[in-house]
Amino acid sequence: MSTELTVLTLAALLQVVQFLLYAVPANREIGPGYTTSPRDRPPSRPMSDQTARLGRAFDNHFQGLILFTIAVGVIEMSGQNSAFTGLCAWIYLAARVAYIPAYAKGLRPGRSAIWCAGFLATTLMLLAALV
Amino acid sequence: MTETTILVAYGLLVLLTILLQVLGSLQTLSMGYLMSARDEPREVGRMTARINRALTNSITAMALFAPAILLLVVQDKTTPTTLLVAQLFLVARIIYLPVYALGVPAIRTLAWLVGFAATAVLYLLAL
Repeated sequence: MSTELTVLTLAALLQVVQFLLYAVPANREIGPGYTTSPRDRPPSRPMSDQTARLGRAFDNHFQGLILFTIAVGVIEMSGQNSAFTGLCAWIYLAARVAYIPAYAKGLRPGRSAIWCAGFLATTLMLLAALV
Repeated sequence: MTETTILVAYGLLVLLTILLQVLGSLQTLSMGYLMSARDEPREVGRMTARINRALTNSITAMALFAPAILLLVVQDKTTPTTLLVAQLFLVARIIYLPVYALGVPAIRTLAWLVGFAATAVLYLLAL
């Protein structure tokens, strides 16, 4: 398996981890009685800032992940794997891992800088597929 | 041009939408707030809110379009027809973004519909 595909698998598994990082404290704070309901009304107990941040980090990674999936898929289909695209993939993954504690701790401007690194790595991979 | 190129172009379009969302948010929100953990939600301008909704919609469309292209390419089922349909999808989604941002009603729905139908056709052709 190529570097890009390995990193893509790890990135998808990271999203599973992010789900747990969010869902476990969210259930503890707002209660499974609410989370298993149809959620017609907002929860009566608010969740903590940190849990809400982990939820936003989880949502944000869905966007990042689908773009990264396309970048990797296209690179693989066209057989354009290179040391550069492999490096971009690792940078993407490292940024997405670092993004979680940066968001949870509210690092400023660290979180935004880390997000930019992942965004740029994906853009460069997509552009590399075109040349 | 191949179906794969169309997919790359669409990926770049979504990246551009994200950039526009950030730039639009800066019209009403400070850089300090954007870089914070955003614990209290804040309102953005009308056009930026539209770009936000267009982005959410584009991500949904991408989650459906990308597998269709992958299925066609992996099974070697690409034809001039699938290329044309993929191009139609891309054009519809390119129109969708400014039309949503400017709040043009019927054309936005039409553009969305064309993109949706094109995706559905691609899945049928992948069978």
